[in-house]
Amino acid sequence: MEEKEKGEGTQKLSRRDFLKSAGLVAVGAAAGAGITYGLTPKPTEEGVEVAPKEGEPAPKEIVKEVIKYQTVEGVLEPAFEEELSVIRGTSAMGFGRDGMPTRVDVKNGKIVRIRPIHYADEGYGPEYMKPWKIEVRGKTLEPAYDKVLITPLGLSYKKRVYSPNRIRYPLKRVDWEPGGDPAKTNPQNRGKSKYKRISWEEATTIIASEIKRIQEKYGYFAILAQGDGHGEGKVVHGPHGCQTQLLRHMGPDPQSSYTVQVRVADSWEGWYWGGKHVNGWETTGTAAPQANVTWDIAQNCEMLLISTDPETTTWGFNQQFASRVMYWLSDIGIEQVYITPDLNYAAAVHGDKWIPVLPCQDGALYLAVAYVWLTEDTYDKEYVATHTVGFDKFADYVLGKEEGDPEGPKTPEWAAPRCGVPAWTIRALARNWFKKKTSIVGFMGPGMRGTYSTEPCRIQACVEGMQGWGGPGRHRYSVGGGLPGRAGNISFDTTLVKGEPAPARGLEEHEVAQDYFRPHQYIRKVDIHEAILNPPIKWRGTGSPWMAASDQAREFTYPIPKEQGGTEIHMIWTDTPCWTTCWNGGNKYIQALRDPKIEFVLTEHPWMENDTLYSDIILPTTTRYEEYDISAGGGDVWLVNNCIAPVGEAKTDYEVSLEIAKKLGLEEKYTWGRSVEDWMKYAWDTREIEKKTGMTWEEFKKKEFLALPFDPDWKKKLEDKPGARGFYEDPVANPLKTPTGLLEYESTFIKENFPDDKERPPVPHWIPEGETHQDNPLGERAKKYPLLCQSNHGRWRVHAEHDDIPWLREIPTCKIKGPDGYMYEPIWIHPSEAEKRGIKNGDIIGMYNERGMVLGGAYVTERIRPGVAYQDHGARVDPIVDDPNLPQSEWIDRGGANNLICPEKTLSKNCGGQVGSGFLVEVKKVDIFALKEKYPEAFAREYDPASGLRFSSWVEGGEL
Amino acid sequence: MKVFIVDTTRCNGCYNCQIACKDEHCGNDWSPYAKPQPETGQFWMKLHEYVRGNVPHVKMTYVAQMCQHCEDAPCMAACPVEGGIYKREDGLVVIDPKKCSGCMNCLDACPYGVIYFNETLHIAQKCTGCAHLLDKGWKEPRCVDVCPTGALIFGEESELSERFGAGETLHPEFGVKTRVAYFGLPNKRFIAGTVYDPKANEVVIGASCTLTGDGGTFTQETNHWGDFWFKDLQPGVYTLKIEAAGKTKTIADINAEKDIGLGDIPLE
Repeated sequence: MEEKEKGEGTQKLSRRDFLKSAGLVAVGAAAGAGITYGLTPKPTEEGVEVAPKEGEPAPKEIVKEVIKYQTVEGVLEPAFEEELSVIRGTSAMGFGRDGMPTRVDVKNGKIVRIRPIHYADEGYGPEYMKPWKIEVRGKTLEPAYDKVLITPLGLSYKKRVYSPNRIRYPLKRVDWEPGGDPAKTNPQNRGKSKYKRISWEEATTIIASEIKRIQEKYGYFAILAQGDGHGEGKVVHGPHGCQTQLLRHMGPDPQSSYTVQVRVADSWEGWYWGGKHVNGWETTGTAAPQANVTWDIAQNCEMLLISTDPETTTWGFNQQFASRVMYWLSDIGIEQVYITPDLNYAAAVHGDKWIPVLPCQDGALYLAVAYVWLTEDTYDKEYVATHTVGFDKFADYVLGKEEGDPEGPKTPEWAAPRCGVPAWTIRALARNWFKKKTSIVGFMGPGMRGTYSTEPCRIQACVEGMQGWGGPGRHRYSVGGGLPGRAGNISFDTTLVKGEPAPARGLEEHEVAQDYFRPHQYIRKVDIHEAILNPPIKWRGTGSPWMAASDQAREFTYPIPKEQGGTEIHMIWTDTPCWTTCWNGGNKYIQALRDPKIEFVLTEHPWMENDTLYSDIILPTTTRYEEYDISAGGGDVWLVNNCIAPVGEAKTDYEVSLEIAKKLGLEEKYTWGRSVEDWMKYAWDTREIEKKTGMTWEEFKKKEFLALPFDPDWKKKLEDKPGARGFYEDPVANPLKTPTGLLEYESTFIKENFPDDKERPPVPHWIPEGETHQDNPLGERAKKYPLLCQSNHGRWRVHAEHDDIPWLREIPTCKIKGPDGYMYEPIWIHPSEAEKRGIKNGDIIGMYNERGMVLGGAYVTERIRPGVAYQDHGARVDPIVDDPNLPQSEWIDRGGANNLICPEKTLSKNCGGQVGSGFLVEVKKVDIFALKEKYPEAFAREYDPASGLRFSSWVEGGEL
Repeated sequence: MKVFIVDTTRCNGCYNCQIACKDEHCGNDWSPYAKPQPETGQFWMKLHEYVRGNVPHVKMTYVAQMCQHCEDAPCMAACPVEGGIYKREDGLVVIDPKKCSGCMNCLDACPYGVIYFNETLHIAQKCTGCAHLLDKGWKEPRCVDVCPTGALIFGEESELSERFGAGETLHPEFGVKTRVAYFGLPNKRFIAGTVYDPKANEVVIGASCTLTGDGGTFTQETNHWGDFWFKDLQPGVYTLKIEAAGKTKTIADINAEKDIGLGDIPLE
């Protein structure tokens, strides 16, 4: 082709010129080695000189083939400068688990790019990986053996690392003093007062002395450790729970040393508290048998009913392989039907049919489906006779024969106004479901986060049984479930031998569930605000995802009896400061944090966000890019080699507790006498990786990456009985984990333990409202608050994470720019609802109920059905009004953190899940400029539309 | 010669392409190929999203759009600086960041609007095809490397010629020959609806639907949901006639300039 002319003596290079000049002046890799930034400290982005950390090796020298080129002018151009490359996972799972490894290229101490691993480039080509390959109806599916299918959340993470919102140094609230005197702790000013910089020395001295003081005055249980939930996949530098590794050494025994917050089944509460009483999917309630299910679905299933979003929900934790599977399932002719209030991101591209149901009202829909089958005699009677108990009672209820049932027969006409789906479409759904072999996608599905979400989940599980769950093409399906995997998996998250520590130095969340490990005094995460504001409290069931159904009958109290050391909490030590924007009733939680009995709130976190604003001392922690560690996930293991220097004065969570341990004289106990590298080696050794793979520790440290090949016996796995086929074929020989071993349409457990529970009765019921909640869209409160708020897991966040990433915030469904320049969290409403309220696309609107108001940008769209206001959960709290002297109903949040206004009570009286969605609200236009005039202080915070609030907005003199 | 293929029917809208472009170019200086892209507001690779239809007949299409690396690039012709915009041997069109005078002629000349003006650096900027990486041995630019579904493909024209040749040009009316082939561009319309019998509260399956209008006459039977979906229609005005069991219904003046979901249609 025509060669465009070249300027004389310029830096423009054609490929030919480039190669020519390269040949002339190339300098070999060996000569290039040794001049990387790491060996001699170089300025970080902040301009701080940072030496490699003590006891850790200096960053490695360049081992990759990097050739230095000069330009024709003899000056090294930026494009040809050397880059150092290290490996990082991008999973936001936490719990010591990681995944989605990437190459991180670094230049001059700064991250250049984050790019997916290519296995062949790491020395693990297809001939080593030996991927499986399956073919159905002429279309093939293979695993992503060539490269990691990174998600946008991991890809954009450089901006999270360098966020202007990073906490740069330890901070103390300006009007808080240690000692517990309410006149000096000023608890009412948490979330109002600013912070000032202090040194690590001062911070750790205060913290150590406050811990001692509070323990001596009130007892060991007076300190609440909040260290659970999702986060960066780290091992030694566990993102959550390092404080418990210190606190547990302080009391008479580890279980009498602190009060722990127990994370409850979140995001699938309806299945945990409800569904598993039908189908026994222990322990999480979502553990439907997945063995070889994809293969069976591909061959036998004709229709998928999907009530979750496989294009979103998995992003924080898994690759985008589910997307490929969904395209493949369409390619082989399996119909995808989405039963969701929103045209979610999967429905938008994969959907063949969208049935827009009202949020969390699916129970009525499925009851009517059962009604059609019962009255048309189109269900699997033989299966029901042999595989279920209590079916007659369920059938009576559906047919309106239950004594005293005011609802009558659950006809499609009965269901239509309740669930928002026309009767004719319900009938069509029932008929198609009977005619076509159908599987269900979505344990996250019907109303799993709504009020009384036990019921729609149980009802769906009952209906599933009526067509012979476990039979050919009839499964509960996690997209991609049961496909062949790698030959083994390596993870560092759990203790292998009781008494021996897990390599992951965070809270051993699985074990906190266990009675032998969990501190004797604990509070469920859903009850923290109640425990502080209205003690004593009582509840049934720990709620931990790792507990069997029988646990739900156990009774607990807080505080535990005095003679057992019980005391109210007076200090909170959190490394999980996202309660306000992730849990049930954030505004109430803010009130709890301001209770005078809470003398000290200590927060450690990389970013100034959410609960962090309500602290007394704040410690800056690192991201995974600033650490030295080992990590694993998805059949890969990698060295988390030094990448960049910590931002500001940040320390890892492991180091934070270590610094405090030093002040308390507990360094040796905290570390077990081990260095960071010792822990990494411990991880390697206890998993016997050398024995499994032949790779030595030294080789691993040099190579930095180890991929396990795919299972060589994968073809045999395709002969496995898929899913619940064993139960389907012989329920006696292959019982479920329910008390009877059968599908329980009447729950034995609930009947025995909660026979009179009107909110979770033995036979599942349609419960639009009750003692605990009144969020019935046809009920009294709906006159004032006529819309149901739907709040999904964010497409562009993992819960509270990633909210400050500018490149995500530019995406139209991530943030909406208001006329004031602020980037608002979108609230989706249908054009018909917008018109009624005079709302136009892009307007700033408020979503509100008695519990307060959160703002958002109106996203007027056909992607949401009428009757709904949809806003993803997890946006960053930015209070305009949270004045303790004003009623909560007058509180306003600008960030759109709608958990602030969701119900404070759990999903029903005896079920400790949260209601983060499916609650009543109204929306209205908001005059932002009037608010600005009224609340100038809130609007004066330094704000950057690209990333949101900045660190400096809460810190005196906190310039970047 | 390099070419791109953009298959919108495989795009799940994850925005990886747009983000990877920013990861590569925002804050990173790749001179002599390109100077840094501003942190926000400019998109050398931009994903456009289209919500089509009405509840409950709605679909989405995402279209990735970047410099089309035209063979007869209007920007090159409009550039007054000798070699200010040049074409490499591999076909990629690159703005030389050192030669660019900031006259903005190329912004006006580009019919696709994919050239941005960097106010700080006072230069025009756009997609380089990640030429700096290709010259280092990369096989694909960043946007293609991170595409999880194969919706974006990059490679040698000789190896991709069959597929490339079958694709569409984005805005053929611009009359330029581009190096990007598209599949599934949302330039056709659909008209969809659900037919039901209001007396029986049943969907009507197998109803005969005849659509007549600017783009011709089409017939379809409603499916097992009572749905009809007329796809790939020329934009224009249509009349729909529905017939089943002796009942008929006609809906006139359906303006399919946009995709249309007619919702639930009673057949009385």
